[in-house]
Amino acid sequence: MKDTPLKLCLFYCSNSLDANALRQSFSEIGTDELTTVSLPCSGKMDLLYMLKAFEKGADCVMLVTCEQGDCKFLEGNLRARKRSESVDAILEEIGLGKGRMRVIQNKNEGGIHQIIEEIESLRKSIRNQR
Amino acid sequence: MIVAERKRIPELVEILRDSKKILVLGCGTCVTVCLAGGEREVSIISSALRIASKVESLDFEIEELTIERQCDNVFIEEAADAIKRNDIILSLGCGAGVQAIAERYIEKPVYAGLNTAFIGILEERGLWTEKCAACGACVLHKYGGICPVTRCAKHMLNGPCGGSREERCEVRPDRPCAWQLIYHRLKNIGQLDRLKKIEPPKNWEPSLSGGCRVIVREDHRI
Repeated sequence: MKDTPLKLCLFYCSNSLDANALRQSFSEIGTDELTTVSLPCSGKMDLLYMLKAFEKGADCVMLVTCEQGDCKFLEGNLRARKRSESVDAILEEIGLGKGRMRVIQNKNEGGIHQIIEEIESLRKSIRNQR
Repeated sequence: MIVAERKRIPELVEILRDSKKILVLGCGTCVTVCLAGGEREVSIISSALRIASKVESLDFEIEELTIERQCDNVFIEEAADAIKRNDIILSLGCGAGVQAIAERYIEKPVYAGLNTAFIGILEERGLWTEKCAACGACVLHKYGGICPVTRCAKHMLNGPCGGSREERCEVRPDRPCAWQLIYHRLKNIGQLDRLKKIEPPKNWEPSLSGGCRVIVREDHRI
């Protein structure tokens, strides 16, 4: 079970991430399945999108947002974070535990490398829960 | 409007544990506005229940539907086919909606998916507050439109109690003192004299303590 590839779903704000570069880097670090979904702003993220991803079998869901204060629509990333916390709480209620939902702030200095590190740490924590 | 909030998923799972075909039925009126039981919340709760069903190997089959109003037979009729197709109904309506569905479909179990909380308003985004206790004998005209029965934690008709701190209620410091609000309001509308009158004990007969209430309008009963 521990060796079964994980299903990862990553939603991202299209203003803050080059998904092609991310997929390229991701393919170099393992065999897990990564689905990426583009959003016009992370504030478009809805509880239902995240829950549907879990319903369809995702082991964890990530959301890449701009840095705090950098949102083109002012508060989209703040709303996205609150909604993600809500989903995390629902997953805990369901019995899946906390920590399967992660918000990653795309910091300008870190770029793709920093996001891949965050994905790695989440993968490890999910594998340990299996 | 009637304000409600969803039950927690473990409680819903316990309620539904022995069920297979479940209709999650939303209501498009009050509980839609308070983000508890509208079309969107029907989808969210259904999705959470499907995940819980997989986690606990429960084999739920969930159908989703939202009708305009669950407390009205005309609209309940729209759910007839979906209700027939399913074994049980999880209503995301208020308590009145749940009971209206149960009275209309006597052969189907109907369960409440929400806890109906109070009659209130949206004070700011994501914050609903209670404004009316439906006491059956409104006294709002005497208090500048601010209800001491609902908004004063001690239900005082001859306030204030003297316990407020910096215009905050001593029982719930996150809420303003109702009597402070009443004072400001009466002052603004030039009716401070009202506070000099002693209000006699309230008649609670029309309230819920007299049993389930009924209103009859004979002019509409032909």
